[in-house]
Amino acid sequence: MVNYGGDEVAATVIDIGTATLRAGYAGDDTPKAVIPTYYGYTTTEGSNGDGDVTMGEAEGENAPPKSASKVNMFVGNYGPSVWRHGMEITHPVKNSMIEDFAAIPALITHAFRDVMRCEISDHPVLVTEPAWNTTANRERMAEIMFEEFNVPAFYIANTGVLNAFAAGKGSALVIDIGRSTASVTPVVDGFVLRKGLTHSGLPQLVEANAQHILTNPGANRPGIQLLPHQLISSKQAVEPGAAPRFTLREDRATGTTDTWRNWYESREVEDWVQSVGGVLDQGWNEQAAVTRGARHYEFPTGYNYYFGPERFNIGEQFFTHSASLASKNQNLPLPLPTLISTSLAACDQDLRQVLVGNVVLTGGGSLFSGLSDRLANELQRNFPHVKIHAPGNPSERRFGAWLGGSILASLGSFQQLWVSKEEWQEHGKAIISQRSPSPAL
Amino acid sequence: MSSGVAVNAGCLEAFQELKLGTKGAERYKYIIFGLNSTFTEIEVVTKETQTSYESFLKDLPEDECRWAVYDVDFTKDGGKRNKLAFISWTPDNAPVKRKMVHASSTDALRRSLVGIAVEIQGTDYSEVAHETILEKASRGH
Repeated sequence: MVNYGGDEVAATVIDIGTATLRAGYAGDDTPKAVIPTYYGYTTTEGSNGDGDVTMGEAEGENAPPKSASKVNMFVGNYGPSVWRHGMEITHPVKNSMIEDFAAIPALITHAFRDVMRCEISDHPVLVTEPAWNTTANRERMAEIMFEEFNVPAFYIANTGVLNAFAAGKGSALVIDIGRSTASVTPVVDGFVLRKGLTHSGLPQLVEANAQHILTNPGANRPGIQLLPHQLISSKQAVEPGAAPRFTLREDRATGTTDTWRNWYESREVEDWVQSVGGVLDQGWNEQAAVTRGARHYEFPTGYNYYFGPERFNIGEQFFTHSASLASKNQNLPLPLPTLISTSLAACDQDLRQVLVGNVVLTGGGSLFSGLSDRLANELQRNFPHVKIHAPGNPSERRFGAWLGGSILASLGSFQQLWVSKEEWQEHGKAIISQRSPSPAL
Repeated sequence: MSSGVAVNAGCLEAFQELKLGTKGAERYKYIIFGLNSTFTEIEVVTKETQTSYESFLKDLPEDECRWAVYDVDFTKDGGKRNKLAFISWTPDNAPVKRKMVHASSTDALRRSLVGIAVEIQGTDYSEVAHETILEKASRGH
């Protein structure tokens, strides 16, 4: 094994989420590489398949699956977000579960080779997995690491347990709000209590609702056009609320795919949500929302506006679904209070006390303005002894599981726990679940 | 998932002494365990025969993680009883690295201590107050 920079093990940690893939060196506070899990691809029909793949600056080497014809893949921070003629966008991770493994090697290669500038085969790799990961999935990940990347050692760790441990707790109720999934994981003495595990696609609903609010007319404004800045050639400054004055890029009138456009629009909604969105700490109250004031936001078209009470409607979806929405759709993702109460109901009475006293709030989505205060208030109503642990440092919440893995993998004493390449060759897939048992009771 | 941190033999010795007592000496009231500076071993930080609960709380630092075994005396149904409580102390102010190593090592220490009746996770002093411990110890039988 090669040693780098004096670090005795130089282990690396990979945490793959729905929105971003985080990779970096064990022992660091934050991951070196944070790249989108989404990637773009273009297909060229009928070209001769052998070879000369034009390499973009951020282009992976491994082709995605669909290929009968030539496929170019664009990954990384200059991948999907750059406009390219006919580029489609797809994402291999759905609801925190890797569904399309074929694209994963290209993403990992990009993170290591192009961002971290190192060879993955020199480093032991710790990978995280969601609590509801399947055995087949974790074995597939091990296979990719050992067989494709030739890593010297591998370990797979559960994000729920990592988050609980990073908060110093062996037993905790971990509430993890990501880009696509909100989950509640009861962890007891370092093990996931599987019967109490609940998760839903709540953040997707929050985003869809935000998009609905934006694109439909508000009290004093028209519906807003979500045009990506890549499609706009020029714009002029206009007064808040006035109609935007901009011209579109003629050359990009064709060649913009629906998947790319949807992806970029969702990014824009996300930007808006993060800038102006919030949630009231005591439940919906028009009066309270008005007194919190309006916030200014400008869109790529130049349209800008002071968003008033409606911006607090965005966060309300985390906690309650409006009656009109609920009546139209029976299968709405469960809101946070329901996720939590369902999870606790599945646990023993004695355990409930411990869990409620040790709530750990994590995930990038938990940084949503006002969310932790509101959650505390909601929980207080049913559980007077609730104590929420939410790291104040945003990167500790965005990268909670990564950070936990980073600390674990950097420990000298942990080195005996890795699954080595020799062990993998000797025992095969069985060794993975034996060494890092599926952490469930 | 564990850190692989080992438990120093001194920890078990101290625990046995607390449970059984040593000849001619007063029995320990509590033991405090902590990680060594290189995060490779769990060792005994202090062992005390002092009976005041305040002195025990003073030995739980505000910004560092510790484990403790405390011999809880209580009266129930007119009889004097005692039980051993295991306390995992992880104050919110402790650095994340210490918390992570602490939590992933707890299992190794906890498993080597036989005869613990009460387990408590504490992050602030109210969670490890004397009443809390007494209440937990006297619950059940």
